[in-house]
Amino acid sequence: MDAPVKIRIRNLYKIFGSRPAAVLPQVLEGLSKPDLLARHNHVLGLRDINVDIREGQITVIMGLSGSGKSTLIRHLNRLIEPTAGEVLVDGDNILTWNDRRLRDLRRKTMSMVFQKFALLPHRTVLDNAGMALFTQGVPRKGYEADARKWLDRVGLGGYGAHFPHQLSGGMQQRVGIARALTSNAGIMLMDEAFSALDPLIRTDMQNLLLELQAELHKTIVFITHDLDEALKLADHLVILKDGQVIQQGEPQHILLNPADPYIEAFIADINRARVLRVRSIMRQPIGDGAVDGEIEADATLEQVIAASQGDLSRHYRVIEDGRPVGMLDMPSLVRALVPR
Amino acid sequence: MATYDGLFNALGLRDWCDAGGGGGGPMSMADLMARASGNTAAQEVSWWDLPLPSLNNLHAACGAIWQTRDLTLGLERAFLSARDALRIVLDPATQPLSWMLRQMIWLMVATPWFIMLPVLLAVTWAVARSWRVVGLVAVSLGFLAFVDHYTEAMQTLAIIFVCAFICVLIGVPVGIAMSRSNTLRRIGTPVLDMLQTLPAFVYLIPLIFLFSVTEPKLYGIAIILYAIVPVIRLTDLGIRLVDPDVIEAADAFGMTRGQKLWRVQIPLALPNIMAGVNQTIMMSLAMVVIASLVSAPGLGVLVLRGIRNLELGVGLVAGFGIVLLAIILDRVTKASLARIDVSRDGR
Repeated sequence: MDAPVKIRIRNLYKIFGSRPAAVLPQVLEGLSKPDLLARHNHVLGLRDINVDIREGQITVIMGLSGSGKSTLIRHLNRLIEPTAGEVLVDGDNILTWNDRRLRDLRRKTMSMVFQKFALLPHRTVLDNAGMALFTQGVPRKGYEADARKWLDRVGLGGYGAHFPHQLSGGMQQRVGIARALTSNAGIMLMDEAFSALDPLIRTDMQNLLLELQAELHKTIVFITHDLDEALKLADHLVILKDGQVIQQGEPQHILLNPADPYIEAFIADINRARVLRVRSIMRQPIGDGAVDGEIEADATLEQVIAASQGDLSRHYRVIEDGRPVGMLDMPSLVRALVPR
Repeated sequence: MATYDGLFNALGLRDWCDAGGGGGGPMSMADLMARASGNTAAQEVSWWDLPLPSLNNLHAACGAIWQTRDLTLGLERAFLSARDALRIVLDPATQPLSWMLRQMIWLMVATPWFIMLPVLLAVTWAVARSWRVVGLVAVSLGFLAFVDHYTEAMQTLAIIFVCAFICVLIGVPVGIAMSRSNTLRRIGTPVLDMLQTLPAFVYLIPLIFLFSVTEPKLYGIAIILYAIVPVIRLTDLGIRLVDPDVIEAADAFGMTRGQKLWRVQIPLALPNIMAGVNQTIMMSLAMVVIASLVSAPGLGVLVLRGIRNLELGVGLVAGFGIVLLAIILDRVTKASLARIDVSRDGR
C-alpha cells in the first residue's frame, strides 16, 4: 500500500539572520522562536522538520502565512539553503551536491509552479511551456511538439503564439502547469499554485490537477493555506505552524483525530459531510445481517445522507472493488459530522 | 601680529611655526598693499572682526602652515608630475577613439549628400518603423541642408554616433556589473553623481593637460564621461527591477547565471536600457557645444562664433540646428523604445 519514499526531509532547520550557525546550538536546545528574535535578532524559519514524501502521491503542506511553508518547499530544490538537516532525493542528500548536479536536478527531476505564475513576459506561451527543455539547450524544434502536447492537455491548445500578458490569470497558471509538465520531471513542487485565482477557477484547476495526477502519477508537493483545498488534494497532509510540523498523516485521520487545539480550531469550519469519506468512519467486522443497501468506500458522507433520504435507522454495507470491507450505520455517521 | 598668534603660542607650536620659514612663497597683492600703507604692525582687532581660521589667515600667524595657493599649486604640480605616466597608459588606450571619430566625421562629410541623406532616412526607418518619424527627420535634415548647415550637422551627428556607441559599449556592461554587486554599486554611485554634477568645463581642464588639443579624443573623452552616466544608471536599475519571481522561476528551472542574464534579465531590462541610451544621446548633444572649445567640429563651432564675434544670427541658427538634431534623435530613439515595449511587454 505504501509507495516508496521519493523525498525524505530529515531534521531540517532554517534560521534567518546574520549568523545562523552561531545561534543554532541554542535552537537545538529548545530556544523558542520569540526568544530567539528578542535575544539574538534571528528569525526561526523551520524547526526540526521530518517529512517523507512518497512517490506518486500528492503531499500537501498546509499552514497560515508565516508558518514557513513556502520556505520549506524551497528547500526541496535548494532555492533556499538550510541551516541544518538533510534533504534526500531518491536516498541521495542533495545538500552535498555541487552546482552542476543541482542544476541537473532542477532541470530534469523537479519542476515548480508558482503562486504568481512567474512566466517569462517576453516569450510566447509556447516558449514558456518549453522553458525547461530550452534551458537544457534543446532548440525550439525539439521542444515544440512536447510543449504543444501539454498545452493541449491543460486546455490551451491554439494559444501557443500568445504572450502571457494576453491571457487571464487562470490561463497563465495553466501555462505554468504545462511548463512544469513539459520538463517531464517526476516531482512537481507547487507553491500556492492556485491561491491567486478566483474560487471558481481554483476549483477547475484543482480538478485539472487531480485529473492529470490520476493519469501521470507524479510526486507532487503542494503548498496551500486553504484547508478545503488541502483536504481535496492531499494523499498526505502536513500541517505547519510557526515553522514546526504539528501533525501529519492521512487527511481523514487528521480530521477525525486532531492532535492539537490549533488543528481543532482549524478544522471547525470545514464541511465535514463533504470531506469525510465512508472508509474513514466505517466499522468492522463485516456483519452478514440485513442491510438497507451497499455504498462505496470512497463515497462522501454527503452522498450517503442523500442516498438514505435522511432516514437515521438505515444500515449499509461498505464495498470496495465489489468486495465488502465494512459496515456503516447512520447514527455513527451523524456523530462523525460533529467535531469532538 | 596676527589674530591666531596666541593660539599657536598656547599650543607650544611657536618653534615649529617659525622653523617653517614664514612667507616662503611669493608675496600676495594684499601683503604688498599692507606693506605699502605701512600697516604691518599689529592692530587691535575687535571680536566682531575675528577672521575665519582659514589656511591663509592661519598662515599669517604660523609660517609652517600652507597658504591656499600652495594647495592649488601642489595639486597642479602633482598632476603634472603624474602626467607623463598617465599619458603612457591613456594615450594608446584612447587612440582608437581618435581614429573612430576622425573616420566617422570623414565618412559622413565626404559621402555625397544624395547618398548620405537616404542612408540616414533608411536607418531611421529600420530603427523606428514609423513614417511620421522618418518624415520629421527628412524635413529637419532638409532644412539644415537648405540653410547650408549640412556639413556641420553631419560632423555633429558623427561625433554623437561614435560617442553614444562607446557609451553603450562601456556603460551597459558596467551597469550590469553594478546590478550584480552591491559593493560595486556603493562605490559606483558617488562616482556617477560626481560625473553628472561636475560642471562640464571642468572635465576639459585635466584633459587639455593630458592630450594634444588637436586630437579628437580630447573632446570625445569629455563627451563620453559626461554622457555615459544615464546608460549605466538605467541598465543597473532595469536589471534590478526585473520581477524577482521571474528570476526565481529561472533558478527553479535550472538556468545558469549566463542564461539568466541573456535570456531573462537583459531582455526584460531592455526598455530601461533604451531609455538610458536616449538620455545618453541627449547629453552628448548638450556636451557637443562645450566640446567645440577644444576643437570639436560641427554646429557648436558656429554657436561659439556667434558668442565670440557677437554674430547673433549665426549663433541663433546654429543653436536652432542643435535643437532640431536633439528633437529628431529623441523621437527616433523614443519610437524604437516604444516598439520594443509593445512587442515584448504590452504594458
